[in-house]
Amino acid sequence: MPKEVLLVEDSKTQAAQIKATLEGFGLQVRVAYDGPDGLREAMENPPALVVLDVKLPTMDGFQVCRRLKRHPATQHIPIIILTEKSGPKETLSGLQAGADDYIPKDIFASEHLIDTLHELGVLE
Amino acid sequence: MSDKHIAHRYKMRPPVLSVRVEDSMDIMIVRDTTRRAAGLIGFAPSHRAQIAGAAAALAELVLKTGEVHTIHLSGVLDEGKHGLQISSEASWLTGVSVNNILVALKSKMGDLVDEVYLEESPRLTIAMVTWLRERTG
Repeated sequence: MPKEVLLVEDSKTQAAQIKATLEGFGLQVRVAYDGPDGLREAMENPPALVVLDVKLPTMDGFQVCRRLKRHPATQHIPIIILTEKSGPKETLSGLQAGADDYIPKDIFASEHLIDTLHELGVLE
Repeated sequence: MSDKHIAHRYKMRPPVLSVRVEDSMDIMIVRDTTRRAAGLIGFAPSHRAQIAGAAAALAELVLKTGEVHTIHLSGVLDEGKHGLQISSEASWLTGVSVNNILVALKSKMGDLVDEVYLEESPRLTIAMVTWLRERTG
């Protein structure tokens, strides 16, 4: 049975692209379009992995990440932040929020994503 | 390996890689190459991201001065500890107070790497090192 990924991404276009990439790796993908929805989805039905954008309406990805890593029902779930914000401060903020990886959305993103999915045991 | 690569206080180990930075597209390549180099040494994904962020920040910083430059990545070994060193020549900093440079670099990148230092000989070079620790996943 394919492992389930929760993708939290407000841009529908980007969500569709990332979803297609993850599905291409054989994963099943649920999408939440804002932070609170993402939190609710993750807590009600914990996925094998959360892929999180930073720039989200209502609550940014760092806040979502911190909350997921603090909550007993979700703290074990690996989180990958996949974002356009690639500066050193943002990278550090993401990792300090508890993310297991911080991947800029650039031309190498898919390759880094697949490496990390293997490393985290989401892909075998 | 470039002959400009610094042979400094630590023993060098593979991988030894260099990326020439001529425009902003190359910053992505620096980040990608650094992630791969850190992966080869055994850093976990979160540390790879952190080290790659530092390398990209250094590349961007030097590029902003208008200098075409090369970012060197090399494995380093010190008393059994393995690490990754990122370095770049900084001739554009010649004449600037070393202390001021270090304060500025540490404020920008000190949280991303374990060490930030300047080698003054044979050419002024900025170097940063992150050491591999017990893997935490």
